[in-house]
Amino acid sequence: MEGLGLSAPVIFFAAIFTNNILLTNFLGMCSFLAISREVKASLGLGFAVIFVMTCTSALNYLVYYHLLVPLGLIHFRYIVFIIVIAAFVQLVEMVIERSSPILYVVLGIFLPLITVNCAILGVALFMIIRNYTFLQSVAYGAGAGIGWTLAILAMGGIREKLKGASIPKPLEGPGIALIIAGLMALAFMAFSGMIQIQ
Amino acid sequence: MIVMVELKSRKIFASGVWKENPVFRQILGICSALAVTNLLINTLIMGLSLIFVVTMSNVTVSILRSITPTRIRMMVQTLIIASYVIIVDVFLKAYLPDISEALGPYVGLIITNCIIMGRCEAFARNNTVWPSFVDGVASGCGYAFVLLTIAFFRELMGFGTLFGMDVMPGGWTNWIIMVMPPGAFFMLGAFIWIVRSLGPRGEEEELKK
Amino acid sequence: MIRKRIFSVVYMFLLTFFFTGIVSGIYEINRERIAINEEIKLQKIILKVLGVQVPPGTLDARVRQIFGDRVKRETGQGRTIYRGFAEDGKALIGYVLPLFGPGFWGPIYGMMAIDPQLERVIGIAFYRHNETPGLGGRITEAWFEKQFKGKTLLPPEQEGRYFSFRPPGTAKAQNEVDAITGATGTSKAVERLIDRSLKDYLPWIAEQQAAGRV
Repeated sequence: MEGLGLSAPVIFFAAIFTNNILLTNFLGMCSFLAISREVKASLGLGFAVIFVMTCTSALNYLVYYHLLVPLGLIHFRYIVFIIVIAAFVQLVEMVIERSSPILYVVLGIFLPLITVNCAILGVALFMIIRNYTFLQSVAYGAGAGIGWTLAILAMGGIREKLKGASIPKPLEGPGIALIIAGLMALAFMAFSGMIQIQ
Repeated sequence: MIVMVELKSRKIFASGVWKENPVFRQILGICSALAVTNLLINTLIMGLSLIFVVTMSNVTVSILRSITPTRIRMMVQTLIIASYVIIVDVFLKAYLPDISEALGPYVGLIITNCIIMGRCEAFARNNTVWPSFVDGVASGCGYAFVLLTIAFFRELMGFGTLFGMDVMPGGWTNWIIMVMPPGAFFMLGAFIWIVRSLGPRGEEEELKK
Repeated sequence: MIRKRIFSVVYMFLLTFFFTGIVSGIYEINRERIAINEEIKLQKIILKVLGVQVPPGTLDARVRQIFGDRVKRETGQGRTIYRGFAEDGKALIGYVLPLFGPGFWGPIYGMMAIDPQLERVIGIAFYRHNETPGLGGRITEAWFEKQFKGKTLLPPEQEGRYFSFRPPGTAKAQNEVDAITGATGTSKAVERLIDRSLKDYLPWIAEQQAAGRV
C-alpha cells in the first residue's frame, strides 16, 4: 500500500505538532526530564537527536525491508534496530571526535545518552507499524526529532522562567516538569484540527 | 545463615518497591508508565512483562558477571534484555493477541526502559544470583505498582470502568481527558507530588544537613 | 591486550549465537499458533460482515470449516476479495472487500460486505487499529458497525465521498452516518478510508463480474 494517501510533508509536520513523539507518544521522557533544565544543553541534545533519528530511520527501513523481511526474520527486529542505532551512534561519535573537537564538545558528549533514548527505537517501530515508504519514514524521523527538540526547548524555556517561582517542595523537579508537559500536551492537541495525521 | 539471607532479601524487596521505587524515586521508565495506563488490563500485562524481563535479565547478567569483559558489558546487557523482550513479544502474540495489539510498540520499547539497564548496571553486575533475582522482582513490582495505581484512576475517571467492568454510578460523565496524553502527565505528576509529600528520602534530608 | 580483545569478540559472538538460538527456537515453536490466530481472526471477521452467525466460543477448527464451506477467496491485480455463499454453497450472497487506510494513531484495517448487485452494504467491521480505546476505538462497537447495514451505495458526486460522518444523532440521508463523540480525527480518517477502498474496489469487482470471473 504505497503512499497511504499521506504525503511526506504532511507526515513531517504531523510528527512535529500533532503526533509529537514526546507529547503524544510519551517517548524520550528520561533525558527530557533530566536535560531540559538548561536551554543550551537541550539544544545540543536536540540537534544530535534530530540527526540520529533521521539517519537511523533510513537505515532501519533499509535493513528491515531488504534484509529481515526477505529472510523471514522480522521477529528479530528489536535486536537488529537497537544494534543499528547503537552502531550508528558509535560511528558518529568516532567521526566527530576525530574530525572536529569543537563539535565533539558541543554535540559528542550527548551521543551516548541517545542510544538509550526510547524515542529513537520508537520511531523505527512506529514507521514499520504504519507501513511508511522510505521517503515517509525519513520524513517521519526528521519530524519526530524536530518535534522532540521543540518540546524539550519549550520545556527548558518554561523551567527557566519558573526558576524564581515558589513551587511546593514535593512537586519540585520531575513533578512540576510532568505537569508542564501535560499542559504542553494539551496545547499541542490544538494542532490536530489543522492537520490530518497518521 | 538462612535468616540473614531472608532479612537481606526482604530489605532488597522493600527497597525496590517503595524507598527506591524506580518510577517515582528514580524517575525511570516513565515512557511506558504514561502510554499504556489508560486501561488496567493493558497495564497489568505490561507490568508482568516488565517484571519478567527485568528479573530474567538481572539473573542472566549476574550469572555472567565474572566472565563478561567490562568494555562490552553494555552491549551484552542490551543483547540479553532484547532477547527476553522478544520472548515476551512472541508469547503475547501467540496467546494474548488482542492485548499484544493494544500494547503495540510499547512491548518492544521495554528494551529501552531505563529501569532494566539501570538495575543490571547498578545491582546485577555486582551481586550474586538470588539477590539479583529479588532485586529484579522488586523493581518490577515497584514499577507495576505505580502503573496500576495510575491506570486505576485513569480508567475509572476516563471510562467509568475497572478492567472493562462498569463501576461508576449512572450519572457519571467520563473525564475523557484522563485517557488522553495530558491526563497521563497530570496523573503521574500528581502521584509524585503525593508520594514525595508523604515522606522525603532519608538521604536527601541527611545531605541537607 | 590483544588476547582480551579477541576474547571480547569471541564472547560476544557466542552470546549472540546462544540468545539468537533461544529466541529463534521459541519463535519457531509458536509461529504456527501466531499464524493461526491471524487466520482465524480474519475468517471470523469476514463471516461476521456477511451475516453468517458464528457463536462465540466456536472452536477454531469449526470456524475454518464454516469459512471453507461458505467463502471463496479471489485475487487479481493486487486486489483480494471474498465471495460469500448461502448455506447450500451455491447462491452468491455477497462480496467482501478489505478496508484499509491511515487512522488517527495508526493504520486501520476492516472488511465490508456488499450485495452481489453492488448496491447495498450488508455489513462492516474493523479488526485492527491503534485508535484511542473508548474514543476512536469505538469503531469496533456494535452501534457503529450496525449503522452501515443496509445502506445504499450511492455513487458520490464530483468531490464527494460514499459516506459522510455527521455529528452524532444527526445523520439522515442514505450516505450519512453518525460520527463518534470526541473522536473527530478517527471519524474523518474512517470516512476517507472507506471512500478510497470503495472507489478502488467497486469498479474492479464490476469489471470482474462482467468478465464472468466472479
